[in-house]
Amino acid sequence: MKKRLTLDEFLEYTLIMLIIAAIALVGNWVSSKFTASFVDSIPGILILLGIALVGTTLAKVIPLKIPAIIWITVIGILLAVEGSPTAAYVTEAVGKIGLLPLATPVLAYAGVNIGKDWAEFKKISWRGILVTLCVMIGTFVGSAVIANIILYAQGIV
Amino acid sequence: MEKTKTILKAWPLHLTLLAVVLLCEQINTIKIPVGNASIMFLPLLYAMVIGLALYLIKPVKWINDESSKTANSFVTLGISVFIAKIAVNSGAAIMTIVRSGYVLPLVLQEFGNLGTILVALPIALLFGFKREAVGMTHSIAREPNVAYIAQRYGLDSPEGRGVITVYTVGTVIGTIFMNLLVSLLAGLNLLHPYALAMACGVGSGSMMAASSAPLLAMFAEGTTEYTMVSSLAGLSNTFSTADGILMTIFIGLPLCNWLYKVLYPVIGAGRKEKNA
Repeated sequence: MKKRLTLDEFLEYTLIMLIIAAIALVGNWVSSKFTASFVDSIPGILILLGIALVGTTLAKVIPLKIPAIIWITVIGILLAVEGSPTAAYVTEAVGKIGLLPLATPVLAYAGVNIGKDWAEFKKISWRGILVTLCVMIGTFVGSAVIANIILYAQGIV
Repeated sequence: MEKTKTILKAWPLHLTLLAVVLLCEQINTIKIPVGNASIMFLPLLYAMVIGLALYLIKPVKWINDESSKTANSFVTLGISVFIAKIAVNSGAAIMTIVRSGYVLPLVLQEFGNLGTILVALPIALLFGFKREAVGMTHSIAREPNVAYIAQRYGLDSPEGRGVITVYTVGTVIGTIFMNLLVSLLAGLNLLHPYALAMACGVGSGSMMAASSAPLLAMFAEGTTEYTMVSSLAGLSNTFSTADGILMTIFIGLPLCNWLYKVLYPVIGAGRKEKNA
């Protein structure tokens, strides 16, 4: 299996992540009620952007079926794990960016994106909708109950 | 440079969403008390609802079908910056997670995703669904599961129609629903926030963001709890991405098919067939 990454594709995802990161950076500042220094939060967002870009690129050029999220998780952990030479700086810089402000722009785009599924969604009966809600409840509660039982059995919670 | 040009040409969309995000962050979290618990409304939820409203009501002409298509890659790729932040948090927490016994619950809770079959399949049969029910309830129906059902049964089969139904509903209201569900469960205080955090990973970054948000809003950023909740949610999502489809192929779908055979004669047979 050979993967090829074109320049156009590379520029496309770089640009997309750059736009999301830029919106998130300003959002993060507003979210902190303008108490955080805007300039101080720039290195943090650049590090996150770098991790996301490297992870995505690795997923595209390495001929294994490993999704980008796994590469990103591994790189992020390696940069911040105790004992890693970058840990202190990375943790400090990235700490200036809140977690949830990074998700807000993505969900704004998600809202616009799901708009086109609206017509299909409206055709679905209330039964289909209720079953879907049960699917989500079942998945979530199933996992949470198992996790809770084991955490409890181990004496952690 | 076609793709890059398309994105740059959509600059009014980006500026509009920048304004939407700033507005949502300015409004900030709203907590509405329900009995002893409270439901939390978070900026990411308003942003999604406003984004959808902009598309549906069309107050501005530059948010249209084309921008909706452009927005798709912003969701799939944009979430990776958020994932990167979670990964850095996980780096700080990983030693605690490994040393203090969090790995076992993190791994075993993955099997909890099969809970959908136990909860939703009987209900789907009660509603009169037949083989659609298997497509609907064998997994949480995200992209990899849809692809697998398509390959196995074809998308024009009853199973295919079922998986597409749950996929579509999940796409449109799943994120919002998960956000409210977790906010309610966290308020009920029956399950520990760490257990709820581990359940947030279903293999979709934006769903994980929306479902972990109410848990995160309970703690101050920078506290141990905050780092742990975000790391556990992130790691469970990474695990689900890695094992989700294997779980479907080897356990979820066979289990669902078996349970269908057992339950259909009991609660399904004789009901008027319904379409999804």
